[in-house]
Amino acid sequence: MQCKIPAIGIASSNIVHYATGYNFKYNNGMPIRYVSVPFPFTGQPRSVDVGYVSGKDMLSGRPLMAAVVDALTSPLTMEEKISGAPPDEEVEPRLLPADSEENLRRLFDDKEWTDFNSIILPTEKRVTAMLKGTSRKPDEVIKTINITGGARQLTVEKVAINAVMAGASPEHLPVILALATQAPFGNSTSSMANMVVISGPIRDKLKFNCGTNAMGPYNRSNAVVGRAFTLMSKTAGDLRNNVNAWETLGNTMQYNNICYGENEEALPDGWDPLHVEMGFKPTDNVLSVGMGWSSIASVGASQVIYPTHFLMRDYMSSFCASGSAATIVIDPTVAGLLKDVHGFKTKAQLSEWFSQNVTKMNASYWGNGVIQSTAVPFALQGLEPYASWRKLPDDALIKPFTNPKAIHVVVAGGKVQTMWFVTDFGIRRGVLIDDWA
Amino acid sequence: MSSTRKAALLCAMLLVPGVLWSHAQKDPPKGDAAKASQSGPPAANDKDKEPFPQVPRITAEEVQRVVKDKGNVVLVDTDDSESYASEHIKGAVNIAYDPTTDLREQDPSLSGLPGDKLVVFYCNCAHEEDSAPLVLEMWELGYDHDKVKALRGGLTRWEQLGYPLAGTEVDATREKGN
Repeated sequence: MQCKIPAIGIASSNIVHYATGYNFKYNNGMPIRYVSVPFPFTGQPRSVDVGYVSGKDMLSGRPLMAAVVDALTSPLTMEEKISGAPPDEEVEPRLLPADSEENLRRLFDDKEWTDFNSIILPTEKRVTAMLKGTSRKPDEVIKTINITGGARQLTVEKVAINAVMAGASPEHLPVILALATQAPFGNSTSSMANMVVISGPIRDKLKFNCGTNAMGPYNRSNAVVGRAFTLMSKTAGDLRNNVNAWETLGNTMQYNNICYGENEEALPDGWDPLHVEMGFKPTDNVLSVGMGWSSIASVGASQVIYPTHFLMRDYMSSFCASGSAATIVIDPTVAGLLKDVHGFKTKAQLSEWFSQNVTKMNASYWGNGVIQSTAVPFALQGLEPYASWRKLPDDALIKPFTNPKAIHVVVAGGKVQTMWFVTDFGIRRGVLIDDWA
Repeated sequence: MSSTRKAALLCAMLLVPGVLWSHAQKDPPKGDAAKASQSGPPAANDKDKEPFPQVPRITAEEVQRVVKDKGNVVLVDTDDSESYASEHIKGAVNIAYDPTTDLREQDPSLSGLPGDKLVVFYCNCAHEEDSAPLVLEMWELGYDHDKVKALRGGLTRWEQLGYPLAGTEVDATREKGN
């Protein structure tokens, strides 16, 4: 739409160089002028935000409002008059020139193609060997990933390269290809983390750890598959620190993405594996990816005087409950208690109980930034229950987990202790690994 | 590193597949191609073919009947916020669809929609091409397939039938009429 009204962009200092870089600049039809202010805006006292406006443009160093007026009124430069096809960006070759291992490692680190742990360098020989793990063609496009200002094709070959880098073997490739359909992983400006749950017989075949230390650094398949997700996400998703990855604190879980298998053999009778709950057959091999922000591990063993699910409920009340999402990972001993002592005959019954019993103070619910950006518009547009909740007093208790189907229960662990781990991770529908063999 | 070992390594490195995430292969166009890759089958090039045929449609007449019966239905307008503010189906909420971004960016909003009601997405487009992708994304989030649908004919069809609308443009027209 052409309004013929001069306009400029105002971007915070941490992202403005991305906005003025090649991709963004030449994907808007013409270069857009920007001025820049410090970051962040949200949660700041008004005086700070006012100070940004009365302060200096972070790009030119001139007073911000003078820079705004200049940007709106000064004639277009030659570069800004560019039309038609933009100049070609410098491209990387498919094959790197020969160099020493040391130099190539440095190059991979400098380009942020790694997680800064040592990688296996992806020689053509290694990648060719990795590709024997699938019947798919190397140039098959798994998905096109939209990144700021452009898009990138994620091919089978590119996934195989990441699999080599992560230390995987060809037999892991179908799992990693299935995982590639979910790349890049969740990333935000806060400490987002991800979870990869493996289901089905492939857990045994590839020896994924579902028992003792399931979520710890004690198993090769858990390690390499989880790490491959990070490498794929960083490379295909173009996640580079302070370029287009801006998690203030980041999250150490992003090194491995909590990759583990469900301990299906230890499920109580009547409790279905995660993938079966999603509609897959028990014999299907499936991976499911979750993402979220918050997690709390239980401390000490479950106690008779206060039922375990009561304590889980209490912990869950601190979650933001965005989309009613929660994933609860419980040791088989806890699953047994919940079924045999407390009467939850299925996982779905437990999810329903949480939906009905987790409460949260109204002000606390609305005080969360994600809720502000998602549920407030719904409330203003009249969608229930948000519209009614907005009218309640701050200290009113609401039940924010309105959708029990978004509360997932996964059983893992080695029956060493009656432990559990509650998270606000939302798990997406699983992906069939067998499709990628 | 010994010279022998270095030589062997250099040979190996000759064939290092480089980066692979670069623009060595020209970036595909945005729009349909991007949409298709995110959401399964590509949008049809043939205009006679319905894009995203796996997405169930619901007619405006059926929706209106459910609304009139005070049924459990939530309507979701997928146009941008300005278009929504200007005109939308009365009672609809807004979740804008942008084919150039990762659909999962809308997950926090999409997952806030109720799981126990019929959710109907609509766009101001000919063949639900900007509403059907969000139906598919709802499925990925675990919503029941039979509870999420796309409005056949979208806003245009709703308008043709004279069903209730809201928005600034609608208000302005009403004032002029008065």
